[in-house]
Amino acid sequence: MSAAPNRRPFDAGRAAYLALNALLLGFLLLPIAIVLVFALNPTPYISFPPVGVSLRWFEKFFTNAEFMNALWLSLWVATVVLVLSIVIGAACALALARGSLPGRAVLTAFFMSPLMVPAILTGLALFQAYLLSGIGRPVWGLIAAHTLVAVPYVIRTTLAVLHNFDRRIEEAAAVLGASPVRVFFEVTLPLIRPGVFAGGVFAFIVSFDQFPVSLFLVVPKGETLPVVLFNYMKFDLDGAIAAASMVSILLALSVVLVLERLIGLKAYVKL
Amino acid sequence: MTNAARPSPIAWLIAPAGLLFVLFFVLPFAVMTAMSFYSGNPVTNPNAFLTTRHYERFLFDTAGIFHEALWSTLRIGLVTTIVSLLIGYPLAHWMARMQSRLGHALVLMAVIAPMLTGIVVRTFAWMTILQDKGVINTTLMQWGLIEKPLPLMYNEFGTIVALVHIYVPFMVLTLTGVIGRIDERLEQAARSLGAGRLRAFVEVTLPLSLPGILAGSLLVFALSISAYVTPSLMGGTDVLTLPMLIAQQVGTSFNPNFAGALGVILLLVSLAIVVAYNRILARLAGGQGMA
Repeated sequence: MSAAPNRRPFDAGRAAYLALNALLLGFLLLPIAIVLVFALNPTPYISFPPVGVSLRWFEKFFTNAEFMNALWLSLWVATVVLVLSIVIGAACALALARGSLPGRAVLTAFFMSPLMVPAILTGLALFQAYLLSGIGRPVWGLIAAHTLVAVPYVIRTTLAVLHNFDRRIEEAAAVLGASPVRVFFEVTLPLIRPGVFAGGVFAFIVSFDQFPVSLFLVVPKGETLPVVLFNYMKFDLDGAIAAASMVSILLALSVVLVLERLIGLKAYVKL
Repeated sequence: MTNAARPSPIAWLIAPAGLLFVLFFVLPFAVMTAMSFYSGNPVTNPNAFLTTRHYERFLFDTAGIFHEALWSTLRIGLVTTIVSLLIGYPLAHWMARMQSRLGHALVLMAVIAPMLTGIVVRTFAWMTILQDKGVINTTLMQWGLIEKPLPLMYNEFGTIVALVHIYVPFMVLTLTGVIGRIDERLEQAARSLGAGRLRAFVEVTLPLSLPGILAGSLLVFALSISAYVTPSLMGGTDVLTLPMLIAQQVGTSFNPNFAGALGVILLLVSLAIVVAYNRILARLAGGQGMA
């Protein structure tokens, strides 16, 4: 397979292998393409095949106050979560990798555990805690919840970078007379930046697309976009949902492209 | 136990994360567990007393729905895992063995793209495909292959299709890492010794990728038994899973104590799976080290 010469007699096994994989890729991508078709299709209900192209659903989405409030709330929450989780997560990763902490493996597993616990239970537990302590359901409570599930991504990507880079660079700086503080700001921090950014992108998307953690923590009229879409979809399946879906897909995609521009996709996948 | 190195000042950087996790993770789960043993809200209701009645309600299941919900949660999770593995393995193998960097990057993009699309959006995509007036049914009816729409949605089938689509990327990414680390020369050696391509794969690559298969399955199973959006939108009235039951208790029945008990049960089930699979993984890794 490795040095497969291009000019071999027709290989049925290889062809079947490629055809199967093409089919599976289609399974992954087609649903997203279909959403685009429905976002542009002008009929008032979801129907196939499409009859034309119009922007009326995008117009409906962008002029609907409920959708717009939810979109802004989601963007605002995701931005705050991005900043908070970058700071908290990167600091935590540095402590785990460089702090000579006892029980490092256990601590790392602990900080990863929000990814292992069902997200809907994290939402439920926080709902119960907020209920019992009588603080209601403030926006900062939602932000704290999203930050909790976003921080593990930042820790993971930052740790990956910290494990990969050569400690001797830091040592060399120290030998050459840099104080620990200076080594940190001028050597360590620039080196871990790609990992932190990659984690930040995950954090943003995790928050922006978050549903299960938000479900019990939002108040009526203060719902995030996924919750509003979910409630809308229970009764209505028109093109507005498709348009909203396209908007969030494009948002996620542009975040990834920015990331690709900044640091390249490879650092992003190497977890 | 002795620790050779004393914690350095950098260790203090763990404090913000520690505080966040204690206040918004450890404490809430403790509260949820405590609530599940109370008859009401112990802060606002002075008459609330300690009880195991929520667990008894689940255990004896006089309403006859709780065991069914648990069972269908596990069944949907299992089928989703198996199908995700069958779909994810060929893709992961293809990606891990791909020579062209560009091709690799493109497939990777294609696998990651759905992950960056929210669960709600992806579930919506499947609703447009599988509903009675959806893509599949309309096309089949236009071709005259069927008279009336096939029941593709508002049942377990539709739920599983959408769940598979949502969780396959996790399977692919886990498997790609493991398959990529298997030395390709092992397979080549088997082939030069006369094994066919299929046999070389079945007897060399497949067994060596077992840890990846288990790790990916663990991930997908844990994710799909805790799914809420997809079963509640795709399942209609046919499907009731544990997460849906929990949401019902919070939303419509407003019984946070019983919801807490259900939460503890779901938590125990998923933790048991995580622990079991971690054990298997550790044993496999150990066995490989000795070989």
